[in-house]
Amino acid sequence: MGVVLEKLPGISGRVPGGEIVLTTADAIIGWGRKSSVWPLTFGLACCAIEMMGSYASRFDFDRMGVIPRPTPRQADVMIIAGTVVKKMADPIIQIYHQMPEPRFVISMGSCANCGGPYYDSYSVVKGVDKIIPVDIYIGGCPPRPEALQYAVIKLQEKISRMKLKNTHGATFQQAKGSREL
Amino acid sequence: MTTNPAPAPAATAAPEMKTDQMFINMGPQHPSTHGVLRMGLTVEGEKIVRAEPDVGYLHRGSEKLSEVRGYHHCVVLTDRWDYISSMMNNLVFCMAAERLMKIEVPERADDLRTVMCEFNRIASHLLFFGTYGIDIGAFTPFLYAFREREMVLDLFEMVCGARMTFNYIRLGGVMKDLPDPWCGKAKEFLEHFKPRLKEYDDLLSFNPIFLDRTQTVGKVPKDQAVNWGLSGPNLRASGVGYDVRKFAPYASYRKADFEVVVGKDGSCWDRYYCRVREMAQSVRIIEQILDQLKPGPVQGRGVAKVPKPPPGEAYAHIESSRGDLGIYLVSDGGFSPYRMHVRAPSFINLALLQESLVGLKVADVIAVLGSIDIVLGEVDR
Amino acid sequence: MTAHEDLFTEIKAGYPKLEKDRAQVEPYLTLKVLAKDVAAFFAFLKDTLGFDYLDMVTAVDWKGPVNRLGYITEPNPNPFLPDGATPQVQQAPAAPNVAYRESFEVVYLASALSRGRKVMVKAEVPRNSPNLPSLAGLYKTADWQEREVYDLLGVTFDGHPNLKKILTPDFIQGHPLRKDYVHQKDRYDD
Repeated sequence: MGVVLEKLPGISGRVPGGEIVLTTADAIIGWGRKSSVWPLTFGLACCAIEMMGSYASRFDFDRMGVIPRPTPRQADVMIIAGTVVKKMADPIIQIYHQMPEPRFVISMGSCANCGGPYYDSYSVVKGVDKIIPVDIYIGGCPPRPEALQYAVIKLQEKISRMKLKNTHGATFQQAKGSREL
Repeated sequence: MTTNPAPAPAATAAPEMKTDQMFINMGPQHPSTHGVLRMGLTVEGEKIVRAEPDVGYLHRGSEKLSEVRGYHHCVVLTDRWDYISSMMNNLVFCMAAERLMKIEVPERADDLRTVMCEFNRIASHLLFFGTYGIDIGAFTPFLYAFREREMVLDLFEMVCGARMTFNYIRLGGVMKDLPDPWCGKAKEFLEHFKPRLKEYDDLLSFNPIFLDRTQTVGKVPKDQAVNWGLSGPNLRASGVGYDVRKFAPYASYRKADFEVVVGKDGSCWDRYYCRVREMAQSVRIIEQILDQLKPGPVQGRGVAKVPKPPPGEAYAHIESSRGDLGIYLVSDGGFSPYRMHVRAPSFINLALLQESLVGLKVADVIAVLGSIDIVLGEVDR
Repeated sequence: MTAHEDLFTEIKAGYPKLEKDRAQVEPYLTLKVLAKDVAAFFAFLKDTLGFDYLDMVTAVDWKGPVNRLGYITEPNPNPFLPDGATPQVQQAPAAPNVAYRESFEVVYLASALSRGRKVMVKAEVPRNSPNLPSLAGLYKTADWQEREVYDLLGVTFDGHPNLKKILTPDFIQGHPLRKDYVHQKDRYDD
């Protein structure tokens, strides 16, 4: 409980019924984090159109608390939607480091997973996990919006299992750290 | 990220005030660059003195890859250049390859190709309509546009199972015939769609704020447009009625009666409105072709499993949603193209920005960039 | 084909040192000019015959079949190959009846929009000194397209205002679309 009071001052005081919340710190912080997974508005290639589709009218990502943010400083999750090209690799690493921790990465589509149809191209990075740690992979070329939504649900499950104690708020991959510039 | 610089001191200010040029880096991660475009803008106060688009952040080397892929496999690569209008990319590659291999395409396949391309044009222009609204600051049109776009994608899903990268148009014809209820569904959609165009006009096209931000901005005169090699709606908005569907009709466009939409002065609004009006023309074309659709084969004869066209060279071009999309294909008799070059309309349209942005204000950059309607997959290939 | 003949005689009347190319690009009249005359020829086309729209600039490397080392390939994972077996063929077989040669062919496509005509123009430059005049002064659209050709094939356009890499990143060595391009491993390839 001490952690909650420290991490969330001003919130625990306003909970109806007093200052006592019967939960673990992990659970309440995880609940808070997973209910507002804000991705970065960052499209690379074809998959970005399906990503836009999932924000739009039919699929309506907002109902999961997923609201795109245009700047990495306010984002929790980066959706790598498309082919990662060598020229784009350095900007991606930079954007990744600009995001506040804990940060998550969803690799969307075959190109971001492993190079996809460009597996033998001279200018494509064969998978974004060569440059930054990835939490969730989605298959497909491009994956449907439903697949992206399922990935976010899986990410929420993963976030809710996170422990503050062992990893200081970071997931396992993030504890390993990303490749430096 | 673009940062709006502090307001420039007025020119008539005290002489000891010194202005300096500032370099603003815009992109490659920017919500309004429609992908991974980087722009180096040199500004003096609020005014742009030099603009340098920097592309290549999505250069995947398709042209090199096509030199080791078979012709059937190349169709898959084409899907991913202009991923918003994949059908047209399929079509232009198949047309070039069919010219090399001397394959005749059955009439019904040509009709289906035309119908699919026009549906794809609607889907593509709807995406433009939605995202251009967002660029200018109107979020709602995006939701309206995607409502209809999803319906078009459903139609595509019925014929080929994919929402975006279709691979539906194949060498010698199309993948397979229409499923039974498709024509009915398509006509249902068209009936639903026609009144929507009026709605779009009310929502965005004649919105006074939108008009103010676009109507006087980024004018491209006729000579400039031709000299820079613009094509598609960008060229037609400047008053040049060059449309490949009329200039060199392909597929079944000869059968359809439609008009080439031409704008007046090539302002951002003209480019925008050309696209909106083109959607109405696409509806007309689809209706006419669907009405005269006759049963028949959809796959031409003589397409080998591993095609090896005789040595030769061919060029095919079509009117894609972004402009004049061409393929230059060289064969040396092998199982993969010896050389494939894409005349990418987005790439050529984008080059104009280094000239047309100069002299504008920082806030107009997005208005002009959005109205050019680029797809980075096609710019970089 | 008569339309082609008419166009050919019309162009030939104003520009006599001109011939048709052996390999005609399928639907268009294809002409062959000397590399050093390209700028003069296009100035003539534009000013006299109204070819005011340049569609395309590209180039073809006629060295021969493509070198597979230009691609990133995994070592052959075939488990049925015995130890020490020769690896897969790295070079595609050369096709007969094709005039492979040590040269680049630069290909232009120009249109006269008002009269609805298109013409392909080819110019051949040797591989060891691939230089030819730039068209960027005549057609602005040649600016980026020539930069692309320079970046991917290494053909140099003299007089181009800003001839530098456009698509590939700085650390990629060489010109990828050349047939003998060999990919050098960089920091993202391991």
